[in-house]
Amino acid sequence: MRRVAMVGAGMTQFGELFHLGIKDMLPMAVGEAVASVDKGFDRGDIGAAWFGELVSTDGFASGILADSCGLLDIPVSHLENACATGNDAVRHGVMAIASGMYDVVLVVGADKVRETSTRTTFWDWMGMTRDSAWDFPLGLVAPANFALHVNRYLHESPATREHMAMVAVKNHRHGVSNPKAQLRFEITIEQVLNAPMVVEPFGLFDCTPQSDGAAAVILVAEDVVDRYTDRPVWVRGVGLGVDRVMHAHKRDMTTFPPTVKAAKQAYAMAGVGPGDIDVAECHDCFTGVELINYEDLGFCERFGAHKLVEAGETSVGGRIPVNPSGGLKAKGHPPGATGVAQCVELFEQLRGDASNQVDGARVALAHNIGGPTAVSAVTILGTARGG
Amino acid sequence: MTRSNTTAGPDSMITSVGTYLPPWGAARRRTPGLDEDAVTLCVAAGLAALRSVDPADVGRVVLVSRDLPLIEGSNSAAVLAGLGLRADTEICEVIGGAPALLDALTGAAPGTLVIGADTSPAGAAAAYCGTSGAALTASGRITRSMPVVTRDAFGRRADYADPRLVRVSGLGASLDQLDRSVPIAAAAGLAGRDARSVCATEPRDLPTEGPSAALFALATLAELGQPAGQMQRLLAVEQATLGLADLGQGEIIVQRDERAPRPVPSGTTAPGSEMSISLAAYERAFDAKLRLVAARCRRCGTLAYPHRYRCLGCGSEDATDAVALPRDAEIYTLSTIHVPVPGLVSPYTIVVAELGDSGVRVTVRLTGAAAGSVGIGDRGRLVFRLVAVRSGVPDYGYAFLPDDDTEVTA
Repeated sequence: MRRVAMVGAGMTQFGELFHLGIKDMLPMAVGEAVASVDKGFDRGDIGAAWFGELVSTDGFASGILADSCGLLDIPVSHLENACATGNDAVRHGVMAIASGMYDVVLVVGADKVRETSTRTTFWDWMGMTRDSAWDFPLGLVAPANFALHVNRYLHESPATREHMAMVAVKNHRHGVSNPKAQLRFEITIEQVLNAPMVVEPFGLFDCTPQSDGAAAVILVAEDVVDRYTDRPVWVRGVGLGVDRVMHAHKRDMTTFPPTVKAAKQAYAMAGVGPGDIDVAECHDCFTGVELINYEDLGFCERFGAHKLVEAGETSVGGRIPVNPSGGLKAKGHPPGATGVAQCVELFEQLRGDASNQVDGARVALAHNIGGPTAVSAVTILGTARGG
Repeated sequence: MTRSNTTAGPDSMITSVGTYLPPWGAARRRTPGLDEDAVTLCVAAGLAALRSVDPADVGRVVLVSRDLPLIEGSNSAAVLAGLGLRADTEICEVIGGAPALLDALTGAAPGTLVIGADTSPAGAAAAYCGTSGAALTASGRITRSMPVVTRDAFGRRADYADPRLVRVSGLGASLDQLDRSVPIAAAAGLAGRDARSVCATEPRDLPTEGPSAALFALATLAELGQPAGQMQRLLAVEQATLGLADLGQGEIIVQRDERAPRPVPSGTTAPGSEMSISLAAYERAFDAKLRLVAARCRRCGTLAYPHRYRCLGCGSEDATDAVALPRDAEIYTLSTIHVPVPGLVSPYTIVVAELGDSGVRVTVRLTGAAAGSVGIGDRGRLVFRLVAVRSGVPDYGYAFLPDDDTEVTA
């Protein structure tokens, strides 16, 4: 397998981008990624492109990417893997280069959640992800999938709603300095705990906002990396894990087995362990999910997540900063873009260019969990080329 | 005037009566839950009546209601599935009130389950007619027109609003045409004042006024017991239409599924698109979903719910056996949804519950208790409820009913 480097990364602002269509957002993100390549980048070098998007707002997804970004002479594929779409799209780009088939691949993720009324979003998006006869009619809205896990987690572990609130406070604080973040303001524990209840145990500030956004990264083969930059970020490992789809079939809901599987694959490929991770962007669609992620990714022992957030170890300045970008919580969560945007953040972190820089970051981890908690993708990036 | 050709004869006896009241509303004026309709009420009452009956003995089911949810469609298939009766059981839907229910009872052959259901006030009751119990013999019937209240096929109601007219020219004039030599022990379909005026002794209040009232009256008579050697006369009324039947000696088993009433919870719903349905998926899931039947792997014995092509345990793709699941349940985890959701009333609680010692879990909604009023580890049972109405189709399944110490188990 050839080693794969990330040489460019860019993204749009995340937020309610009512003034932008998907055909505007895609070229904006791609343009920023292209502009970030140190030695310049000729789009004609792109051998193939992957586009991660959950819900196509303006029709045929790969055609929209090809058309809007002028990629009419290369293969373009659409990929959908629930909220793990972004990091799975990166994984596909990595495979395409590692296999020797392409030298340069463009990976784009985007979604336009606010293109439809919030009234119809519920059922439009749920129809995709729920069993039509069994789970769909129950009203198992997206937060409820995670709430079923987190309530059981709170029941079995020492963690409380206060620990969840600490995650929200941390990620909001991290997001303030990120110019691309959707929610750039600080909040307090009291605000989180007193906010209107959305889906128990998640109050309003425990939840990610609904977001539009696009993100893009440029991956190249080791053989050609010198043409583009002298300080590449290496894709050291990728992994993807799945689980039973129906909650009734998940025996232990205090954990997300897809994360454990995806992380195990990515760590093995990268030749690193959880203790080597200097900074992580993990899937904090709901605050309690970030706590479970700490354990599933190996950042702490089982049911020890509350101690990490209590001690500030996952804040920037702590032992293992998580979500310096603000995370999904503050940066925003356009599902198809989310994983790619995590890689954009980590690309900047590993090059020392991030708005909320983690000093000396050399190994970084990106993580998504989604699809009724049945799919996870993990990407490990590093400054070193690796073995 | 007394019909002699419609009694079932000495062979057919009322063996058991089951009653069901939704837990919502006032003691004697219940409101159906949002997940209840006449079909789910029929199932709850029917299951109560069948507690002491072998389902294999049920050969015919008669549903009497004016509130069945569908005029076209399939109420009956859902009722049979909910009752756990075979799909080849004879079943008919009768549009009628309390007199029609008495007709169905007095004309029932052994092996018949007669169910009456009402949604306003809400309640349902059922009687199983077998070969033991007490005989019920028709002793009078008159059908006259006094349509002071009408409801057309589109549900439009009109009320003439003249209670005296109905009392005098309706009930009174019809009663005059019937044999009054036997005192009336109970009257179904009449409000308290009118019931008192026709009954020989102070009548018990009944929770409903439609077809189920005749069975609630029968349950009351059975529970009170009767003077030795006497039969008890039951009057069933719907506007100016009346039926009389005489209950003979014998013990009727009465099973009540009734809980103390509690206030109807308030909720909000968001406007917006309603839930769509795939009827192909509905049909494939129907038996497992409405009969609560799992598939057991013939190779390793693992239970799968719902049925799946490939075994959860050993990966076998061989045939499976259908196995009824236990209904006692314990909450493994749950969540209460507060945010308004189009097509649903918020807040509502979804639970993942483990069924008995089967190892099978189900994801279902909470019923019979306020949203958020249960916790992990709470126990209850699965009951047949309306999960949603999707594209005009009632979508039935099961919900978690927590144990409750106000339960009447007569």
